[in-house]
Amino acid sequence: MLIGIDVGGTFTDGVLFNGQTVITAVKHPTDNRDLKATLLKVLDKLLTEVKGEDIHRIVLSTTLVTNLLATESGERTALLLLPGPGLPLDTYRLFADTYFLKGNIDFKGRKTEAVDWHEVEKAVEEINSLGIKKIAVVGKFSNRNSVYEKEVRKIIVDRYPQIEVAIGSETAGQLNYLRRIVTTYYSVMTQSAWKEFVGEIETALEEREIRSEVDVLKADGGTMPLHLSLSKPCETVFSGPAASTMGAVALAMDTKNSVVIDIGGTTADISLLIDGHPLYASKGARIKGHYTHINAFSVFSLPLGGDSPIVITNGKISVESRRRDKAACFGGDYATVTDVFNYKYALGIGDPSHSTEKISRIIDGSDWDIEKFCSDVEDIVVDRLRKAIQSMFQEWENEPAYRVWEVVHGRKFIVQEIIGIGAASAAIIPVLARRMNVDYIIPKHAAVANALGACVARPTLALKVHLDTQNGYFVIDQDGISGSLQAGRSFQIQDAKELAQKYLTEMANTRGMDQYSGEAEFYLEEQFNVIRGWNTAGKIFDIGIQIAPGFIKEYQGVRK
Amino acid sequence: MKHTGLVFFPAFDWAISPTHPEREERLLYTRDQIFEEGIMDLPQIREYKTRMAERKDIARVHFCVPDIDAQITEAHLVSAGSSLVIADAVIKGEVDNGFALVRPPGHHAMTVAHGNRGFCNINNEAIMVEYLRKKYGLRKIAIVDTDVHHGDGTQEIFWHDPDILFISFHQDGRTLYPGTGFIEELGGPLAHGSTINIPLPPRTTDEGIHYVLDNLVLPILAEFKPELVVNSAGQDNHYSDPLANMCFSAQGYAVLNSKLAPDIAVLEGGYSVESALPYVNMGIIMAMAGIDYSNLREPDYSAAQFKESPGNMEYIEKLVQTQLRNFRHRDDIINQNRLKHPQTYSYHKKIFYDMDGIHEEQSTQLHMCENCAGYRIITSSAQNRWNLNRVFCLSVPTYGCPECQKEAQRHYIEMCNKPNNYNYIYLQDRVKDVYKCMEPARSLETVL
Repeated sequence: MLIGIDVGGTFTDGVLFNGQTVITAVKHPTDNRDLKATLLKVLDKLLTEVKGEDIHRIVLSTTLVTNLLATESGERTALLLLPGPGLPLDTYRLFADTYFLKGNIDFKGRKTEAVDWHEVEKAVEEINSLGIKKIAVVGKFSNRNSVYEKEVRKIIVDRYPQIEVAIGSETAGQLNYLRRIVTTYYSVMTQSAWKEFVGEIETALEEREIRSEVDVLKADGGTMPLHLSLSKPCETVFSGPAASTMGAVALAMDTKNSVVIDIGGTTADISLLIDGHPLYASKGARIKGHYTHINAFSVFSLPLGGDSPIVITNGKISVESRRRDKAACFGGDYATVTDVFNYKYALGIGDPSHSTEKISRIIDGSDWDIEKFCSDVEDIVVDRLRKAIQSMFQEWENEPAYRVWEVVHGRKFIVQEIIGIGAASAAIIPVLARRMNVDYIIPKHAAVANALGACVARPTLALKVHLDTQNGYFVIDQDGISGSLQAGRSFQIQDAKELAQKYLTEMANTRGMDQYSGEAEFYLEEQFNVIRGWNTAGKIFDIGIQIAPGFIKEYQGVRK
Repeated sequence: MKHTGLVFFPAFDWAISPTHPEREERLLYTRDQIFEEGIMDLPQIREYKTRMAERKDIARVHFCVPDIDAQITEAHLVSAGSSLVIADAVIKGEVDNGFALVRPPGHHAMTVAHGNRGFCNINNEAIMVEYLRKKYGLRKIAIVDTDVHHGDGTQEIFWHDPDILFISFHQDGRTLYPGTGFIEELGGPLAHGSTINIPLPPRTTDEGIHYVLDNLVLPILAEFKPELVVNSAGQDNHYSDPLANMCFSAQGYAVLNSKLAPDIAVLEGGYSVESALPYVNMGIIMAMAGIDYSNLREPDYSAAQFKESPGNMEYIEKLVQTQLRNFRHRDDIINQNRLKHPQTYSYHKKIFYDMDGIHEEQSTQLHMCENCAGYRIITSSAQNRWNLNRVFCLSVPTYGCPECQKEAQRHYIEMCNKPNNYNYIYLQDRVKDVYKCMEPARSLETVL
């Protein structure tokens, strides 16, 4: 049996799943001061009918890291940066305790300026004297050659063994120094708190005699083993929206172009599925205004939900973003979006007479009659959702393209279906779909789609290999892997792809996801002739290979 | 804070040939550098997706022989389209200025296009300029060509247009392709002085080029008062360029763009793909976006390395004085030209397409109009590998007068209806924005 738990900002959802059946579904308010307690409460409710030993997989999705970053309550961390020439240093001074060092690598991984060891020692001495126990070392183009980052780390660890050091090339090896700095910094500063949390969870599971595989959900909709998350806690940010999207995919089980709308009390999270595959944010997860190298789904959050109150101010209807209470039909004090749809379409939600009563009270003394008022509110709600959806389509269609082929063939998002999940979807989605003239589904168990998505999501792994046969080396953007390349003139793209496949398989094995390495797909194949004079001096390849988000093999859908 | 629009289009799937300087690798390291710096994540920079130019955008500038599709690949449409994307963004005020960092280049492509010259088939800047005029009604535009090679294509296209100020500085044509761009080349009889060439001696440094900028380019721009300034931004004045012999640096390019403050920059040549382009392109983007570039330098750069020689400086100072005079006396010369050539003005020239080995013979007859730049008749014949193409072209200027337009239309119909030796007859009616081509042998007319 499987368990999925998604600790969200307002509610924590859990499901116990077996075969094709949701056996138990739990919804519980989240205590943001004690996520662990909330999580265990939900776990215990799920375990009332089964024994711990019957569980063979648990997947957790939590807001812990998201909260730590939002409240800046991680551990104090110093940044040692080797930026070299280029943008002004102030561009990279994003956080306090930032130190700049000499030492530069260029785009081909060549050393172009040496590190000043004396300068390194002085900086580290100062950091130590400030009582800082965590250091992130990040160099420009360290993803092409990590030698300086490693040498700086060695100096620190040799002198101050108590200081923990992380380097950029092992944390975030993609091109983009700014995002590498942010990602490495956030990883380091959240590590201790995450480690503590993981420890407590492991103890709690032991107490319940659960010895199953335990995974956490990442922002990219894939899972990773709990112990591997210790070095990369940041990858768990925004796993909530990822859980919802994966849940929608799991429940829909089709290959259409769809819009997933997770509309709850206060927020509508919109994501897109292209041929059934979730769309990624092209610039990575954005945390506190900073772009990162964390792979995340593209999610547009609109402050609009079933509990959004409706008011009339200065003779105009407005749908407010700030929740005041639950919907009137559930005993709330204000007329909400849910109440309006409840009245207009006679949905019979809660006690519909309360919806009618509160709406009547708002329009009392105004020029609106109740029918006109409700249809005006509907227009506003539908318009805001449509605009948000439209802007997501446009953003995807307008992604920069660097090849003639891509520009000539263009892209257009033609939506085939809306998948509604979340508490308010039943009231709003049918109307929206009708107005947009597309089909919709609101799957059974839509209210706990997030927890279901988490428990059936499979692990993901993506790596990009950069190979340079002229200079005889390759680098991989994950875990700082690099090596020399004994490549003759005959080395071709096929050989580059084999190398990428080999490393993906190895990494998959060490992560216990060997059963999925056969399903890896190439998402990037670029090759360049390096010409010096009029001769071919070598080739450069960029190969991307991934085990994309998907579902564990045992998942065969949910029985209708 | 300035906002700079950027279209980055490296055409990673297009090359003239696998080992040609204009190949996929050209902007690879520029990609690495600008992506690694993270400059596109900064709030100053807005990256745009490119699009394809329409065939009509090309017909507004070129007579492609026999037709547009014969002279371009899809890559050319995208490269030209990129400057149009930037033009739209700048004119609509979405950004303060913009840079089309694109390939293939275009500044050697001339009005009549039989083939590829100097890696260029169609002229990106010229297509953008005519697009801006047609779509947004702009009239006076300055193009400053900072490529090391003379922008002979752009010069030729706007040779008769007094509203386009074309300034090109480049390595002296006696020492480098295309072998033109001398100080005597000042524009057609009715547009004299709106073409300004600044041939610089080999090994000119930042100092020399900045002297030209401060003492010639900026003063005449101030006097000309263009509505828009375009930098035709070649990067092969760089000290590491393998095809030229100048000593310009990335800092030098950045300072140049700060001073020039172009509304739009379009990449042209530059083939030092590792040592120059990543840094020069960064420099241009940073300067345009108002980002401090004092920390930008090539890894091997040392300021002491390049000093302007006194001999060079003396030559440059003289050159600047001569060209200032030429620019300021342009109206007198134009008046004299009107007296000297009251009806028409004709000339003949030969053009060589180095990339395709094509020799073209071309005659131009300009109608010396009193009210506009005058319509032109261009007859051209070129022998390529397969056949001899003889074409007859009529071009009405963008702000042409009704008489010139009517006369050109009449002439086109007359040519189409009487027996002649031409394979193709073209009418470029820019006032009406209609472009016609007649192939007499098949009595087939196409209209764009």
